Amino acid sequence: MGLQVSIRKSGDVTILDLRGKSTIDDGESELLDSHLQKLVASGARKLLLNLADLTQVDSSGLSVIVGTCVSLRRQGGDLRVLRPSGLVLEVFRVVRLLEAIPSFEDEAQALASFGSRGYVASSS
Amino acid sequence: MTVPCSSAAPVQQKTALVVASGTDIDELLRSVLASDGWSIHHAVDNQHALALATTDPFDLIVTGRKMLGPDDVELLRKIRSARAHVRLIILTDRFTPGDVISAIREGAFSYFSAPFDASELAEMVRAAMTSPCWDDGIEVMSATPAWVRLAARCDISTADRLVQFLRGVRDPEIPEGIIYAFKEVLLNAIEYGGNFDPSQHVEISFIRARRAVACRVKDPGQGFSLEELRHAAIDSPADDLLSHVAVREAQGLRPGGFGLLLAKKLVDELIYSEQGNEVLLVKYVDPAISQGA
Repeated sequence: MGLQVSIRKSGDVTILDLRGKSTIDDGESELLDSHLQKLVASGARKLLLNLADLTQVDSSGLSVIVGTCVSLRRQGGDLRVLRPSGLVLEVFRVVRLLEAIPSFEDEAQALASFGSRGYVASSS
Repeated sequence: MTVPCSSAAPVQQKTALVVASGTDIDELLRSVLASDGWSIHHAVDNQHALALATTDPFDLIVTGRKMLGPDDVELLRKIRSARAHVRLIILTDRFTPGDVISAIREGAFSYFSAPFDASELAEMVRAAMTSPCWDDGIEVMSATPAWVRLAARCDISTADRLVQFLRGVRDPEIPEGIIYAFKEVLLNAIEYGGNFDPSQHVEISFIRARRAVACRVKDPGQGFSLEELRHAAIDSPADDLLSHVAVREAQGLRPGGFGLLLAKKLVDELIYSEQGNEVLLVKYVDPAISQGA
């Protein structure tokens, strides 16, 4: 399947729904990095990665997520994750990433944690 | 193993032969192959496949899951004796770990044992359709049931194939964690030790002991000192897990640095040689040992 990325907005939070895997194999992590860099370059400062349908992540995927998170925090923004599960959750746990990047099970709570106000628009 | 890469030309004639596996797998293969314009021929079993392959120069052959693993290897041997660079992916419901080693030795492109992961199979078929050179990528140096030594070419496609062969063994005592760890260490070896140079090879040993499984990876590089790993997450302090990111940026390195940490956390022991170009992964299969009892 590779990686499929759908992008939508809720207030000032940009939500990326990830489906498939983010590994180095066929450039999936590179693809994710490209999406994230474009969003940051276009002014997005609050990113929520929905990982519910992400089935695999390796060190390349972690690096992209962490690199974007650090970059956003320097610019006053943040990156948070939603519903990591299975192997992805296991990987996040073993490298203790959940201590550095907030994770949520509920999208409304995740959005509220950014201080966003209401659902405004949706796109893909 | 010093041959850099097969001189076989990239695939020109896009023709595949698929041995019947059943509706789901057959449809998956049809959709993947047809999406890139490949012509697809069908065979009902291996005997039919061999008959067709002797007259038509197929570029890719996918065996049927109902055939036995050894029969697929025999088919592979016969076809490759006449057409050395054909890519053949083995699907099988019934196999032994020895069949997987035989498949590597005979030059299979990949090996899938049931239960199949449809997305992984689709990706491997796509890789087989596009890999310009592959058939000198993995060499079995020696193999016993307890100890397998391999050499693998320094490119990502070869690493993916090797990991799939390992998954194909379906050994219940080789947990997914050590396969993940192996892949991370292998990719580090290929990138930092081999510089993605296809003329270079990584040496690998898989050792199956009574109470542990182990994997040794030796890269062709000069090695490094573990004291110089401030750019890696494995060296980040507990209260600042992301500190290595700034170090990497200052050193002009691409985003990364999680491979060693991830590998270390997924096995019971990760041991480097003094030179730093060899690493040993150990996963205990005796719960009493892994719990330190």
